[in-house]
Amino acid sequence: MPDVSKLAIRGLHVRYGQLRAVRGVDLAIPAGCVYAIIGPARSGKTSLLRTINLLSLEVDGAAVEGRILVDGEDVLRGDVDRARLRRRVGMVFATPQPLPGTIHDNLVYGPRLAGVRAPSQLAALIEESLRAAQLWDEVKDRLHESASALSGGQQQRLCLARTIALGPEIVLLDEPCSGLDPISTLKIEETMRSLRSRFTWVLVTNNTKQAARVSDRTAFMLAGELIEEAPTGRLFTAPVDQRTADYVEGRFG
Amino acid sequence: MIARRRLITPRSAQALASVVVWGTTVAAVVILVLILVFVLGRGLPHVGWSFLSRAPVDSGRGGGVLPIIAGTLEVTGLGVAVAAPLGIGTAVYLVEYTHEGPLTRVIRFGTECLAGVPSIIFGLFGFVLFVLGLGLGWSILAGAVTLAFMTLPTIIRTSEEALRAVPAAYREVSLSLGASKWQTIRKVVLPAAVPGILTGIVLALGRAIGETAAVIFTAGSNLPRLIPTSLLEGTRTLSVHFYQLAREGISAENAYATAAVLVLAISLTNVAAYAAMNRFMRRYR
Repeated sequence: MPDVSKLAIRGLHVRYGQLRAVRGVDLAIPAGCVYAIIGPARSGKTSLLRTINLLSLEVDGAAVEGRILVDGEDVLRGDVDRARLRRRVGMVFATPQPLPGTIHDNLVYGPRLAGVRAPSQLAALIEESLRAAQLWDEVKDRLHESASALSGGQQQRLCLARTIALGPEIVLLDEPCSGLDPISTLKIEETMRSLRSRFTWVLVTNNTKQAARVSDRTAFMLAGELIEEAPTGRLFTAPVDQRTADYVEGRFG
Repeated sequence: MIARRRLITPRSAQALASVVVWGTTVAAVVILVLILVFVLGRGLPHVGWSFLSRAPVDSGRGGGVLPIIAGTLEVTGLGVAVAAPLGIGTAVYLVEYTHEGPLTRVIRFGTECLAGVPSIIFGLFGFVLFVLGLGLGWSILAGAVTLAFMTLPTIIRTSEEALRAVPAAYREVSLSLGASKWQTIRKVVLPAAVPGILTGIVLALGRAIGETAAVIFTAGSNLPRLIPTSLLEGTRTLSVHFYQLAREGISAENAYATAAVLVLAISLTNVAAYAAMNRFMRRYR
């Protein structure tokens, strides 16, 4: 039977040497929603996220078992085109990480690699992505200034815009607001909410309040296992598992 | 006894340490300045436009050093031009393409051994392999390749450090934006490492310009023509010229003048390279 989920994870194990970070996780993430993954530190949520775009395999030396289906296509098969996958599945990291160079340089990096060359096309893409990330008004007059001169919150929205400029279908966010001021956090959350029809958002967060605020569904992970996943409202008000209840009520973690 | 004990309070130890550290710095600077004053003081009065713009006359008793400056630039420039891509390529391999393991340890140990070999051994090696073995004769090419071998460890080491200093996050970001590993290296990692790599190349250039033993055996000591017609022509570098003038007692004045030119050339290379590096870093950040 074909899988109708945008992103489906089947029996996923992720290991780093002896360390088993993810232990047999199954998840189905429907298209066009904000899907939050919460859990305490070392629960495997970041490893899960970094495996979806194969970064854990390429950079961290992870050993992976299971299947990850994007539109029903398994990305863990050996012959997958990683560059193409990463354009379809973009990622925003925990700390704002602009590349050296200007705001403009950062935004055109991905599109140029994908073969977009025409200046008019790039300019349109830049404006659209910056507007989507709610940064356009703040930087439209200084696109050719260094990206590292921006504030932390602006840098993170630039990173979000940079990912949006790839034209992805899925956006992975790895605790994107962990070091940000409240206003930037709010703007990033607004971006997620307003663009949920365009992208499927997968948000890993330590901040249960943020998950409650922005997500449609939430999954709770603990020690590499998926404990429970449900529509966000239900997971927070009527969790089935006692461990979920303890975590969302702040009794541990 | 009590008075002596009081002498070594943390306060006085601190004061003593300041004086010692400050003193060593001053001593180092004084030594440096003394050498410069000695060389430039004796040499500079004989360095004029005619010395810089004329060929040597009568084995260097008269005339100037223009063809020798040219010869120096050819040998060292070509040498570093050969060593730089080899060294940078090795460093990229060590940092980006392998994990730390027996192979990298062997390569690193090898380069460190290479760095510890006295330059005259490089000269002898170049003489046997290039001058005689490959039949290049005393030539610009043989001298340059020998210098390339000699400067390779410096370039590998500094390039490696420069590449390692590039934040890992840059690589992850670049990959996550759809770049391949090589695109990441070429567009993000290498540009970010350029200032460090350039520093290594300048260090190598400085060592190459001043090198005597490795060059005298391989590039020879023939007085060169101003513009060589072939890389297989023998040549003479400034340091070799200085050695000949001083050792053969040809002309003490011109020997010191040559030394002054050599010292100035090395200083100029450094200043120019650092200026270029600063500009690059401002543009890139």
